[in-house]
Amino acid sequence: MLDFIFPNYIVPDLLLLLFPFIVIGARLFCTAQSKLPWRIANVGFIAIFVLLNFIPLANGAGKFFISNWKVDDFGILMREVLIISAILGMWLSKDYFDHSGEKEQMHQIAEFIGAIAFATFGGFAVVSACDLLTFFLGLEIATIPMYALTAWNKKDQLGSEAATKYILMGSVATAFELFGFSYLYGFAGSLHFSEIQAAVSSGTSPLLWVAVLFLFCGIGFKLTLFPFHTWAPDVYEGAPTPVTAVISVTSKATAIAFLVVLVYGPFAPIQEQIAPLIALLAGTTLFVGNLGALKQSRLRRFMAYSSIAQAGYIMVALLGPASIAKTAIIYYLFIYAVSNYLAFFVFGIIGHYREETFASLRGLSKQNLGLAIALAVSMFSLAGIPPLAGFFGKFHLFFSSASTGHYAIVTFAVLNNVLALFYYIQLIKSAWVDEPEGTLSPLRLTKRQRNVVILLTIAIIALGILPFLSNNVFSGFSL
Amino acid sequence: MISDITLGYLILLFPLFTFVVNGLFLGNRNAKAAAALAVTCNGLAAASAIIVAIHYFASDFAPQKAVLFEYVFIPFASTLVAKIGMLIDPLSVMMLVVVTFISFMVNIYSIGYMREDRSAGRFFSLLSLFSFSMLGLVVATNLFQMFIFWELVGVSSYLLIGFWYHKPSAVSASKQAFILTRFADSFFLFGIVLVSYVVGSFDFSTINALTLSAFKASTINLGLCTVSSADALILGSVMIFTGGWGKSAMFPMHIWLPNAMEGPTPVSSIIHSATMVVAGVYLVARLFPFFTICGNTLTLIMWVGAFTMVFAAVIACTQKDIKRILAYSTLSQLGYMMFALGACKIHMVIAVTGWTASTFHIFTHAFFKCSLFLIAGSLIHQVHTNDLDAMGGLRKKMPITYVCTLISVLAISGIPPFSGFFSKDEILLAAFQGHHYVVFALALLTSGLTTFYMFRLFFLAFHGKPRHEGVRAGHVHEDFAMTLPIAILAAPALLSGILCKGLFAKFFVPGRLRVPHLLRLAEAEWIPFAAVGVAIVALVLAWLFYASPKAKIQRALDESNRCGLYKVVYHKFYFDEMYYAVVRQFIFGGIARVARAFNDYVIEGLLAFSVWFIHKLGDLVRTAQAGYLPFYLGTLIVGVLLWRFFGQLPL
Repeated sequence: MLDFIFPNYIVPDLLLLLFPFIVIGARLFCTAQSKLPWRIANVGFIAIFVLLNFIPLANGAGKFFISNWKVDDFGILMREVLIISAILGMWLSKDYFDHSGEKEQMHQIAEFIGAIAFATFGGFAVVSACDLLTFFLGLEIATIPMYALTAWNKKDQLGSEAATKYILMGSVATAFELFGFSYLYGFAGSLHFSEIQAAVSSGTSPLLWVAVLFLFCGIGFKLTLFPFHTWAPDVYEGAPTPVTAVISVTSKATAIAFLVVLVYGPFAPIQEQIAPLIALLAGTTLFVGNLGALKQSRLRRFMAYSSIAQAGYIMVALLGPASIAKTAIIYYLFIYAVSNYLAFFVFGIIGHYREETFASLRGLSKQNLGLAIALAVSMFSLAGIPPLAGFFGKFHLFFSSASTGHYAIVTFAVLNNVLALFYYIQLIKSAWVDEPEGTLSPLRLTKRQRNVVILLTIAIIALGILPFLSNNVFSGFSL
Repeated sequence: MISDITLGYLILLFPLFTFVVNGLFLGNRNAKAAAALAVTCNGLAAASAIIVAIHYFASDFAPQKAVLFEYVFIPFASTLVAKIGMLIDPLSVMMLVVVTFISFMVNIYSIGYMREDRSAGRFFSLLSLFSFSMLGLVVATNLFQMFIFWELVGVSSYLLIGFWYHKPSAVSASKQAFILTRFADSFFLFGIVLVSYVVGSFDFSTINALTLSAFKASTINLGLCTVSSADALILGSVMIFTGGWGKSAMFPMHIWLPNAMEGPTPVSSIIHSATMVVAGVYLVARLFPFFTICGNTLTLIMWVGAFTMVFAAVIACTQKDIKRILAYSTLSQLGYMMFALGACKIHMVIAVTGWTASTFHIFTHAFFKCSLFLIAGSLIHQVHTNDLDAMGGLRKKMPITYVCTLISVLAISGIPPFSGFFSKDEILLAAFQGHHYVVFALALLTSGLTTFYMFRLFFLAFHGKPRHEGVRAGHVHEDFAMTLPIAILAAPALLSGILCKGLFAKFFVPGRLRVPHLLRLAEAEWIPFAAVGVAIVALVLAWLFYASPKAKIQRALDESNRCGLYKVVYHKFYFDEMYYAVVRQFIFGGIARVARAFNDYVIEGLLAFSVWFIHKLGDLVRTAQAGYLPFYLGTLIVGVLLWRFFGQLPL
């Protein structure tokens, strides 16, 4: 071995890179009914998650692999968020492949999982990137599988329509990003983040501002910022439910990681100057998201607007200082992932047997109390009601922004939260108060669904009332 | 031997414990156990209080103050700290004995009185809360603690007066009592804020040691005007007295007390004798040295007291509801106590006779008034009415009660050697010594009126022919649990004056007063004879009207054939009606309606508008989501332009 030290912090990334090939490859050697790929996928994802937890946090500036692949605290915790999202997305999708119910049955689970894994790897690349090229590639790797996933049911016309919209708008957004990157390169004369940062801190020029504008607009598409959010309701509605869940968490987490890397990396010297833009994007986005959610009657459209608004809330934290903002965003993403997946699990279970509308929720508390409780917990957490986890998440987001004195946007966001509470409670009201019209088909939970719902519900409550569980998230950024 | 400090804790904790246990655990399940617990704990508290009192008065330490314990409660500022403690001096020890003893008696009595009530457990719980609050009030070391317990007394009286909440009259009476005393308390609180701001302390020891000259120079800003600190203190003293004014139901804030009769009789008994109404007198007595330096505040106190005394006595002569007669008699006696305190001021110097007399009267009055209310409760329990019309001839049926009533009536009338004679005599002396001759004459007159209406009640209830079928049929008997405390209370009603006269003369002076020794106080040996003479004349008159063989009782009880003045008095000078008119027309009809309109149209209108507006915006967002791809792609371009112009980037 001599003095060659194997960089073990890179193992999870390498595993994840190999992983989709193994899963898809395994399918070649077994029958369509075989559970082998599914088992490999489970073992693989969980192994990666466990390995990530073994990488020690708080190691300063991070470690570099071949000088171009950075593994730091933020990166590790983001990896964990992405992997959790992938695991939950996989578990959620499994039932769509097993039995059909009302919905059309989905096929080719191995490829499906492989696509999710690729998207997750894209996210890994974004948080590890040290130069614009890796950065851009990571974003594209994270996005392109989503297009495919949206149209997974080839015979579903709505899905195809959604995918078409998604891919067309996504292409325009990618063009914006490339445009921005090219200006950034033109301004700094380098692709490397540290050199760009040095150039930015030594002085600005219109080239830089054009780059900033187009990069924010481009990523605004992925993060569903106003007015680039228009694809979201249609795609969320058209895609299969598990894909919607993955888009709403993985895609959003990747996009916000992209912004965090940019704002606290190359753009750190001009954070003050771009603060008004961030505040405006955040404010309009959460307002429009909340307004849109007010009037929805279909569950996934509702979730689309809800997640638009959530993106606005996360943007608010970007106004704060680096360590506080990163901590707040990571913490919130964990909670957002858990709460959102819980909601999607409930909607998925309902969607198996009924239409995915508010009307299908009626009388849920009498038919299946556990599910109704899980739904209420998830909605209250998204709305930010103490003592659930969502409250503390939102608190840290707002705290981050308030600590640099942006009280106006914090006030606006808090006022908007009242609006948000209104529609989240409307959903809960459907499940707990309203009487069903006519008869609704009965619900059945598989063992996996029940276990996951219980696990997530407990997680939301426990993260809220036992804050020390999240100590590792906060200690990672101790300055 | 248990130390006095432990006993001090126990006095307070026994009632609190009873309240908590009865309120949370026993009350609803087992009324008998709740009653047993309440009687035991209050008995132990009374025993502790008596032991403390014996220790205190028997020691050489006696007239000095001591603080048994004190804890920091709220540190408002480094110099202004609200504490909770237990102050021991002659006044508070006397009150501790009175409150715990009366509470013990009332608890025993309630076993009989509440026997058939379904929520007796709640009653015993609240009764203990009441005595706990009053105990906390009397041992207060500072104004802040006093205010806390003052409010607790108010709350518990509210709960107890409205105990039979299914009766609308009880509910309205409890609300009236609470709102009226709260109204006065708001002034009290303002006074506390003002005084503690000027003085920089809540402690009685500090406030009572002030001299006004130190505050002449500085000024404070009251918002509307700037006044000197000395004037602010005088204003504060009037405000603080206003708190006692309402709590002690002095005219014109007296109306809640007679209406508070809607509560169960044991509650009336404890309110009138030991807790609640004497709190106002106690407050003035506690802060007496402070009041003496504050200009003419004592004169105000004297006139308020004196007026209430006569006013209430006149009304009492015409009433027919026995509890109401007793209520007005309490008002009148409170007037005595109040004016005795005020009468201490002789031009520029202060005599302490009135203070001693007033505290002495609190002490004696507690026993005979408690006894009288318990008797009234007994009668009502047997006859099932409050009305004197339906009583009469109860002497043979209730012999023990009859004897005890006679003792208490003689005591309140001030006939020697019964307890009331001594304290009332002292009060008259104080008025005379203070050269307040008008007030003295009024007091003498009221003494006669008191004897008259008390014997009127006595003769009409016990003598003559029975006017009630139940009494005629012989259904009336004496209940042991109810008669026992009446009999016990007869002893102090008879003896407390003669036995404790020396004690009060020796120990009861308001601390730290610089009374000029050379002051020659007028001695008046003839006052007791005059007072007794007036009382005996009144007694004879009452006998002639209501008990002599020639008396026309039916005619005496008929109020329809009277002159206009009698009717005015009979209707209590129409004070209730005046209050209702003001409240209904002015507060409900005027202020409340305006506030309601503001809420309905302005606030709710704004709310409705914003809801409508938000929903419209929501519709707009939904409409924009048409599902039309070229439009979506257009939004991307529009977005870039939008943020180009509004993103505030330095492009």
